[in-house]
Amino acid sequence: MDPKQRNYLLLALCAILVIGSWVLFVPPNKKITQGLDIQGGLSVILTAKPAQGKTLTTADMDRAELIVRNRVDKLGASETSIQRQGSDSILVQIPGIKNAEEALKVIGSTGQLEFVEVASITDSATVAALRAGDDNVKIKAGTYKPFMTGEVVKSASVSQNSSTGQIEVNLSMSTEGSKIWAEATTRMAPISKGGTSPTGEQVAIVLDGVVKSAPTVNEPITGGQTSISGKFTAEDAKNLKTVLETGALPVTLEPVDTRVVGPTLGQDSLRQGVLAALIGLLLVAIYLIAFYRGLGVISVVSLLVFSSMFLGLLAGLSMFGLFALSLPGIAGIVLTIGLAADSSILINERVREEIGLGKTYRSAAASGTRHAIGTSVDADLVTFVSALALFALAIGPVRGFALTLMLGIVCDLLMMVLFKRPVIMLLADNIIPKAPAFWGVPKEVTRTGIAAAKKGGGVRA
Amino acid sequence: MHKFNIDFMGNRRIMFAVSAVLIVISIAALGIRGLKFGVEFTGGTVINVVNAKTVSIEDMRKAFTDAGITNAQVQESTINGVRGFIVRTEVTDPKVANADTAKVAVATKLPSGEFQVTTIGPGWGKNVTNKALLALMVSILAILLYVSLRFEYKMSVTAVVALVHDILITLGIYALVGWEISPNVIAALLAILGYSLYDTIVVFHRIKENSQGLVKQSFMSMANTSINEVLVRSLNTTFLSLIPVVVLLFFGGSTLKDYALALTIGLAVGAYSSIGVAAPLFAMWKEREPKYAALAKKFAKAS
Repeated sequence: MDPKQRNYLLLALCAILVIGSWVLFVPPNKKITQGLDIQGGLSVILTAKPAQGKTLTTADMDRAELIVRNRVDKLGASETSIQRQGSDSILVQIPGIKNAEEALKVIGSTGQLEFVEVASITDSATVAALRAGDDNVKIKAGTYKPFMTGEVVKSASVSQNSSTGQIEVNLSMSTEGSKIWAEATTRMAPISKGGTSPTGEQVAIVLDGVVKSAPTVNEPITGGQTSISGKFTAEDAKNLKTVLETGALPVTLEPVDTRVVGPTLGQDSLRQGVLAALIGLLLVAIYLIAFYRGLGVISVVSLLVFSSMFLGLLAGLSMFGLFALSLPGIAGIVLTIGLAADSSILINERVREEIGLGKTYRSAAASGTRHAIGTSVDADLVTFVSALALFALAIGPVRGFALTLMLGIVCDLLMMVLFKRPVIMLLADNIIPKAPAFWGVPKEVTRTGIAAAKKGGGVRA
Repeated sequence: MHKFNIDFMGNRRIMFAVSAVLIVISIAALGIRGLKFGVEFTGGTVINVVNAKTVSIEDMRKAFTDAGITNAQVQESTINGVRGFIVRTEVTDPKVANADTAKVAVATKLPSGEFQVTTIGPGWGKNVTNKALLALMVSILAILLYVSLRFEYKMSVTAVVALVHDILITLGIYALVGWEISPNVIAALLAILGYSLYDTIVVFHRIKENSQGLVKQSFMSMANTSINEVLVRSLNTTFLSLIPVVVLLFFGGSTLKDYALALTIGLAVGAYSSIGVAAPLFAMWKEREPKYAALAKKFAKAS
């Protein structure tokens, strides 16, 4: 394929990408997902702290994530996002939330689920309250010792007993848990059923130091399948089920970075960011045209191609839930505008220089763009490496900055190869030679011109 | 056209002296004044009240005290001409912080949407800092490796020297002026790493190209020519990269300003260090190679 055909093909490909991008990102405020700091809402990073003497495993984090997901779902908010960050943190984002305090309570209520024999509690007031059947009795640390923790819980469900019509909460335990449970319930069961207690002992189900339920053991439970019945309403039963399920998490989650942003505030920031990007783009365009004239116009069009592809990419990623524009992300975008202008200048300077050195327009366009793109690729890759390190290793909002920076670099390379180089090469054939002054390039040096240039110095072998 | 012939290499001692002075001042500032770390590093709560309407600073202070936060630091702030407040407290429990803020909103009769509450738990800052430092180390190593493989190790070492120079001076300015360091500033600094290298690599690229079959001049003077050849580009790109970032500095909100300020300083210092630090150091080092030492000797006599 001759260079001309190849250039037309590249441009056609570029046109398809740009049109595709427009289809993807128009209107941008709908098609590009906005981050929490822009649309307003609650953003919280939870860090998992393992129980004392234990180390945090990936399995723990998987469970933690699942549980956080359950909790967030419980809030009934839509379009929430839950992401793992680093080895021990989970980022939860809930847009447009009204009552941040309440939401934090639900999400942050993670703790230890413990099973405690009521008779073994050393604080008599607590025991008395539990005997009386009080709700949500608080139990002081140090006054009790759990015989089993929530880790053994495999699943919990709510059902209605077909013969009595009572609502029951069913609990299924791991093999290991079943053994401990069997031993404990045998001890706590009434003497009539082979136990040691006159009428059956109470077992307290404790979540985060609060007794959620304290049913009496009616018989030894040896199979690991347990059903808790009582004067439950459907709501009570569901709550107890959730406690049993979510409490199965052996780690505590602490909110370490909590941000609550009002909806108007985020929109203001977005407007400022977009305004800054547009003004920046405009000033860059004016400068490019003033300095490089015709080549400057091509550079400005290149910037528009770059911006279109960039927005298209962001919209495409948003579609799959892989991207949300945050304020640090906007900073990344603004930085890449400068980066894209840079690559454009590299090409302009190099082409001008090669023409000045006595090459024909055609060969200067081909070799100048090739060399300049070579330089850009090196420079871009190095910036990319820093951004990648930041994205992979850093935590918190700065990852948004690293992400847009990386995406911008990709678009920059695409723009140069698919647009700027082919356009300059095609124009150099017929159009630039007709009006060198307009295109901001020196006159093609004739044979005598080369000699003159040599005299002036600056020609390299 | 835009041809320059500035004797950068001849004046390299002046540039080194300038850099040395700046670095000494920066280290002194960092040592004596230290950096002011934001709440993300120290733990605590920052409450931004964006539009405070007619609420006075005394009323705001009283509202916080009444809400139960006794040691709140209340400052007035102006963003885009709108008067607001920045309140810093030591509260590290987000539930408490938000509950108290809700009380303040009621007391001052401001809509709760005007309040932005950021709470950072204790110990989190160390985590953030460690991760950032790790990212810094990894990217410096990766860059060293890339430049060593693509060019040569002498380029990568001098490029990294220039980088450290840029980062020290930027941090020094932060220490001197007393601006607050937030994770955003750290992220911007890391980006500067890449960006400052961008400039350096463009210069190195040209030096490498021009060094092929070098016989007619010394390495030093060839390097000087190379800098001059890419000077217009360097000036233009630095200027053009600065434009959007400076615009951001003037129009952006507080998060965006964090980035813009660090990027502005870093870009300017980075552009300077490519020419003033990285290239001369590299040329000096190369001149110690026997091949180039001979060239240097030959042309030193001739001139």
